[in-house]
Amino acid sequence: MSTPREPLRRIVVVGGGQVGILTAIAVRRSLPGCEVIVIGGAPGPASFADWSPTAMPFTNKLHDRLGIAEADIITRAGGSYRLITRYVGWGGAGQAGVVAYGETLDPALKTAFARDWGGVRALGSGAPPTASLAQVLAEAGRFAPPPPGEPTPISAVDYALRWNPAAYRALLIEQAEALQVGYLEGVIDNIEPGEGDAIAAIGLNGQGRIAADLFIDCSGPQATLLAAQMRFAFTDWSDTLPTRHVYLGQPGAPMAALEDRITLTGAGWVSEVAGRDGLQAMLGAPAHVSREDALAMLRVPARAVIALTPGRVAEPWVGNVIAIGDAAARFDPLGPLNLDLAHRQLDLLLEMLPGRTISPLERAEYNRRSGLMMDGVHEVLALHFATEDARRVFGMRALPGRVAAVIDQFTRRGRIPFREELPLLGQEQFALLAALGWQPGLPPALRHGDAGTEARARAAFEASAQAALAFAPPYAAWLERALLASRAPAG
Amino acid sequence: MTAAGIARLLPDLASVQLVESEEIGIVGVGEATLPHIRGFVEKLGIDEAAFMKATHATFKLGIDFRDFGRIGESYIHPFGSFGEEVGGVGFHHYWLELARHGMARDLGDYSLAVAAAKANRFRPPSQDDSLASTYGYAYQFDATLFGPFMREFGLGIGIERHEGRVVTVERDGASGNVTALVLADGRRIEGDLFIDCSGFRSILLGQELDVPWEDWTHWLPCDRAAAMPCTHATDDIRPYTTATAMPAGWRWQIPLQHRMGNGYVFSSAHVSEDEACEAIRAAAEGTPLADPRILKFRPGRRAQSWSHNVIGVGLASGFLEPLESTSIYLAQMAITYLIELFPERGAIDPRDRDEFNRLVDMEYDRVRDFLILHYNATTRDDSEFWNHVRTMRLPDSLEGKLELWRKAGRIEKYSDGLFYDASWIAVYVGQGLLPEAHDPRAAMIAPDALARATERLRLAVTGEVAAMPGHRDFLRAEAARLAEAA
Repeated sequence: MSTPREPLRRIVVVGGGQVGILTAIAVRRSLPGCEVIVIGGAPGPASFADWSPTAMPFTNKLHDRLGIAEADIITRAGGSYRLITRYVGWGGAGQAGVVAYGETLDPALKTAFARDWGGVRALGSGAPPTASLAQVLAEAGRFAPPPPGEPTPISAVDYALRWNPAAYRALLIEQAEALQVGYLEGVIDNIEPGEGDAIAAIGLNGQGRIAADLFIDCSGPQATLLAAQMRFAFTDWSDTLPTRHVYLGQPGAPMAALEDRITLTGAGWVSEVAGRDGLQAMLGAPAHVSREDALAMLRVPARAVIALTPGRVAEPWVGNVIAIGDAAARFDPLGPLNLDLAHRQLDLLLEMLPGRTISPLERAEYNRRSGLMMDGVHEVLALHFATEDARRVFGMRALPGRVAAVIDQFTRRGRIPFREELPLLGQEQFALLAALGWQPGLPPALRHGDAGTEARARAAFEASAQAALAFAPPYAAWLERALLASRAPAG
Repeated sequence: MTAAGIARLLPDLASVQLVESEEIGIVGVGEATLPHIRGFVEKLGIDEAAFMKATHATFKLGIDFRDFGRIGESYIHPFGSFGEEVGGVGFHHYWLELARHGMARDLGDYSLAVAAAKANRFRPPSQDDSLASTYGYAYQFDATLFGPFMREFGLGIGIERHEGRVVTVERDGASGNVTALVLADGRRIEGDLFIDCSGFRSILLGQELDVPWEDWTHWLPCDRAAAMPCTHATDDIRPYTTATAMPAGWRWQIPLQHRMGNGYVFSSAHVSEDEACEAIRAAAEGTPLADPRILKFRPGRRAQSWSHNVIGVGLASGFLEPLESTSIYLAQMAITYLIELFPERGAIDPRDRDEFNRLVDMEYDRVRDFLILHYNATTRDDSEFWNHVRTMRLPDSLEGKLELWRKAGRIEKYSDGLFYDASWIAVYVGQGLLPEAHDPRAAMIAPDALARATERLRLAVTGEVAAMPGHRDFLRAEAARLAEAA
């Protein structure tokens, strides 16, 4: 007879940044009988996930599950919408490409097997896959989130949110307080070992001993708890990921854009995230680029410079300590992969939430999947540095995992080999490779080219694009109205 | 299947020459399939109703496993889910919690596919997100008709057929590639690429190229089948396949429109062929339509399914016994990957070959572990055969999955390959392998409230099933519709 496992009685989350607080909300909601305490403030700016002003569409679903309302993020946390990311200059001067979200194919093709049958093929007709509704809308500056549960001409358009990290964190704190998540400020001055690899308690400067069943390490790159474990090991990605310094720019002028931009420059990559508090620019440079050259390319004054040694922990879950986000993996904040990884790891933890007694095999399974997630991010990032132009800026780097095979299959066959737990869907990877300047090859099944089918598909797309444009309001004006309405006095 | 697939999906890339001999018979058993076959049929542009009529096919919602975990117990492994996840916790955890309070009904009562199968009812799933969309279906068809149907289809789209037996294989001295086949009457058929669909004989991949065979008999000891078709014993046609455990293996019942396929899959180390034939005669429910025929096989897989310019598809590349109806799927999967990785302008890139072999190996290994589970998760100790499979050493990959289930009621997740959560849960629970513990969150709902919620689901399932037509009636209506359209 199977019995329910004894539930966790107390969980301590170390690190009070946006990752730690959302984690606390999530575990508290999942186990209402369990005391949840957050310890410490927000990690420093080197914790990219904790300061990310944006996420991926996955986060929207996680927010829904955890009761974080999108409308609150928009009206109270400086929120805005991104439909596309434009990659500029990765495939040579003047080259650009767009990555939108989601698989825009017929849902019937979404099973693993159907992916093998069709998947990205419909797009592999030679031209880069620019024909997404998201791009049409972003370029026309028209969008408003489609009403849920109601079919509209833009319901298939997936989007990501941006926000002001401090305001978003304040919003999360409010929710955490409403859920009676505890909070203690202070410095950890002792880690008291328990049985095996477990931690029995931590000592908090001036506040005594805090015991818990499970410790979640959201403390950022220093991984306060995990790194103190005997079994802690770090897998260095320096051989494959060349960025060593990340320059964080002062915010520029506010900008109501539906697109963000990632540009390859002579001094490194530049990421520009639009938003209501201003354009957030960052530059990631290899070791040989001087501070002066980097700042000149950033074009705005830097508010911080972060040194980066990319890599992941070998085992994110050791004993009763689980590292999430930058405590588990650190890498270029090139796109919102840092926060996206943290949120997917959190989702995995919710799925596999243990009881008070942890089975070594569930730890192993969590570590396997969390490891696949981190390796998937590693591979996606490495694609950026594999283009000829990126190699001129960043130098030649070895390609990790299956990256070489993916580029080979893409360029010869327009095919994206499936890998588990990747941050991007097959079609998003296809779009990214094309945006980075690789020319997709043609799948054998499309070689004979059925002009009629292609013309019909184009016509169908054109019609849905026109319907989407007619339906979606001008984005800037819509956003302004939405914000005004939220400030209207009640009654 | 392979010739038709290539001719249809790569029409301008290759001319397809099909070499086959009428001297070599078709393995004439009923063939049960997996839902993926529908994608294949559709992709080739074959009309479902016409295909079903030509192959005397029936619909299949799953497999009824009898006497596997323990004699007298049975369960259905459905093409569908059990209940639904609540608050991120899988339904089976709630079911285990209910079971602890003695309030759980059979797990299958919360699956529409299982309930419909048990009631002998069928209707295609809906396309929305409702309960009526929570299952899939496959076909059970006559394999002696399926081959010729695919051949006719292929000939209609440009396959060229050569009747005759291959007597000599010519190869290029430098590369070792196969260059031509010489038939018994002296005809010589050249090709750039050779696809070996010659079954166990594997005349190109096995005999000619000598690609080693990895034997899995120690995990899957069944190596023979005694097949015998019968009439239907009742008026109903089951929308599912039945697999009943036997003292030295198991026997299948695959309902077709016009008859019932029967066969005893057995281990020749544990029972003689004569005894097996006797056993299938005794067990079959309808009137026999022929004497039992013995089929021989070996579970395992070739070290590479693609070597030089030869690709093995189906039994020529590997064999897993039909316990989960995976044979056609494994062939179809290889064809799909081959079409994706088809050589460009006749030149084979080793990277494509490696990718093909990686994908095929992964599929075989995943199916293998799942099949072994059916034998190992048992309390049966009534024969030498069951004592062997119950106590054998398992592949490490399966041992880890089992332990994760036993300790925490969790399933190792993957998205590539066959058999996801619901399938593993069906077999674990169905064969009495319950975990020691389940998710603590399932115990946070008061048992009464949980029982009420699951009862609502069960009643909804029952209601859906009641609204479905009988399987035989549905088949008749489809046939009438087809006749009218013609």
